[in-house]
Amino acid sequence: MREPLIALDQDLRVISVSRSFYDFFKVKPEETVGQLIYDLGNKQWNIPKLRELLETILPQKTTFDNYEVEHDFATIGRRIMLLNARQIQRVSGQELIILLAIEDITERREIEIGLEKTRRELEKIKLAENEAREYAESIIDTIREPLIALNQDLRVVTASRSFYEVFKAKPEETVGQLIYDLGNKQWNIPKLRELLETILPLKTSFDNYEVEHDFATIGRRIMLLNARQIQRMSGKPRIILLVIEDITKRREIENGLGKAHEELEALAAELKRTARAKSEFLANMSHELRTPLNSINGFSEVLFDETFGPLNDKQKKYVNNVLISGKHLLMLINQILDMAKVEAGKMKLTLSHLPMKALLSEMVLLVADMAEKKKLEMRVEISDDLPDIDADELRVKEIIYNLLSNAVKFTPEGGHIGIRAVGTGEAIAIEVWDTGVGIALENMDKIFEGFFRVDTPYSRLTEGTGLGLPLSRKMVELHGGVLSVESKGLDQGTAIRFTLPVHSNRGA
Amino acid sequence: MGKTALVIDDNANNLLLEKDVLEVAGFEVFIAENATKGISLAREKRPGIIIMDMRLPDMRGSDAAKQLLLYPETRDIPVVFVTASVLAEGIEEIRTIPNAVFISKPINTRTFAKEVTQFMK
Repeated sequence: MREPLIALDQDLRVISVSRSFYDFFKVKPEETVGQLIYDLGNKQWNIPKLRELLETILPQKTTFDNYEVEHDFATIGRRIMLLNARQIQRVSGQELIILLAIEDITERREIEIGLEKTRRELEKIKLAENEAREYAESIIDTIREPLIALNQDLRVVTASRSFYEVFKAKPEETVGQLIYDLGNKQWNIPKLRELLETILPLKTSFDNYEVEHDFATIGRRIMLLNARQIQRMSGKPRIILLVIEDITKRREIENGLGKAHEELEALAAELKRTARAKSEFLANMSHELRTPLNSINGFSEVLFDETFGPLNDKQKKYVNNVLISGKHLLMLINQILDMAKVEAGKMKLTLSHLPMKALLSEMVLLVADMAEKKKLEMRVEISDDLPDIDADELRVKEIIYNLLSNAVKFTPEGGHIGIRAVGTGEAIAIEVWDTGVGIALENMDKIFEGFFRVDTPYSRLTEGTGLGLPLSRKMVELHGGVLSVESKGLDQGTAIRFTLPVHSNRGA
Repeated sequence: MGKTALVIDDNANNLLLEKDVLEVAGFEVFIAENATKGISLAREKRPGIIIMDMRLPDMRGSDAAKQLLLYPETRDIPVVFVTASVLAEGIEEIRTIPNAVFISKPINTRTFAKEVTQFMK
């Protein structure tokens, strides 16, 4: 027997011990046999728990098993022992002897404790590993791009949620499969084979590898593949992470954008060409129209002036009609051309210093005759501190003359017209108003469209092109000012206000 | 010696009108319906002023004016372009030629002869 064994008599004196007892407790037979157990090894065995066992428990039970005793021995240090005792009757007599088997479980216990510790650590590691795995998996599942992990044999280890969603696949028909066999061999793509079998082993990673493929389930797709070969710790085989980004839509949008861009450029070129053609057409047209007008106006002028002999009254009146119509036509051509020039951005302003008070008085004088003929009362309010401005003299005169003559034209006899001009610091503000026919609300926008003349009893009596107001607004804007119209409605009069900066920019 | 003018225009009406207006104002007027004829007439008659359309059948008025600059007898004659074109390009074209001005079409018959006279030396 390997375990130390000791036989005691009823008085708890040692009868005999096994050899292992001597070896184990480093004692000799002469200092053991016949001794009280408690006195053994210099009273080392005087252990309260042993006393309790031998003196209290054993007499009642005759046996006890696996009684654990921990004790610090002088010779062999702290030990944990498992005690098993039997009270037996000797064959050759009536006396009882006690057999005590002492099992030293110190090391076993240490191992057990160590094992327990290791187990707990292992559990912790497992927990950490699970956490890490969950973390990784949640990341993988969160990523919108489909991701699959392959082992060295290119079989699917795991795939992300988005992979299943995008490629309409199920986990049970995916995990463990060779990638090429996925989805009824849909993934058997030559370019992918090349990547995984040729490129990846050499490079361990590749980025943005574009693959176009016609999938049975989801149709033709353009994918961007990114792969990493990951060397796992602890010598496990490598795994390959493959991220599949579906860029079909993005590519479509890009292509669409490119196409749209091209179309836009073509359109812009076409517009440019059209604009040039339009401006060439207008230049030609104005030339072609002015040439015969030169004759019409020139000859009727010469006739009217009776340069080559007198006319009778009727002849003179008729040739004057020709002349007036010719001049009207000329004005129309000039205004159309001006309008075209503004729209083509070709209208250049010739800025000069304009003494505004003098200029306004001059314009007022120019329409005073016309106003008087219609018995219109004209009120002129030019602020004393009205500043001079830098502007295109001809254009400014055209604007003011146009507005004043409109006021005269569209105001019935006996009405009022007026002009007000004030300085506003950086600009001047001019208002030309009348008590005339006004503008119906529904026509407010139309009056700037050109060739629009409000059909009133007066419009038939008046000469005009309908281009005066739109052109005036363009000219004001070209100077950097604003022109607006106010009328409370038909027969409520009209007020046209505009501003001109004290220092205009050069236009065009 | 009286005032002389050369009018070059391919439009017969314009030619007639300008001739009439100038003659009324006391000019002796020579006429040509294209640039080539106009240049040779200018070299022969040496007019006090040349009135020319910008668009002529055989060349542009500005090119004709440049040719006139090549001959000593015509080099100093002032040129008045009568042009219906009001685009900036046309005006720029005239600015490159010395001794040239322009009157826009249609002409004012009451002031035309006076304007022309002003450009003469």
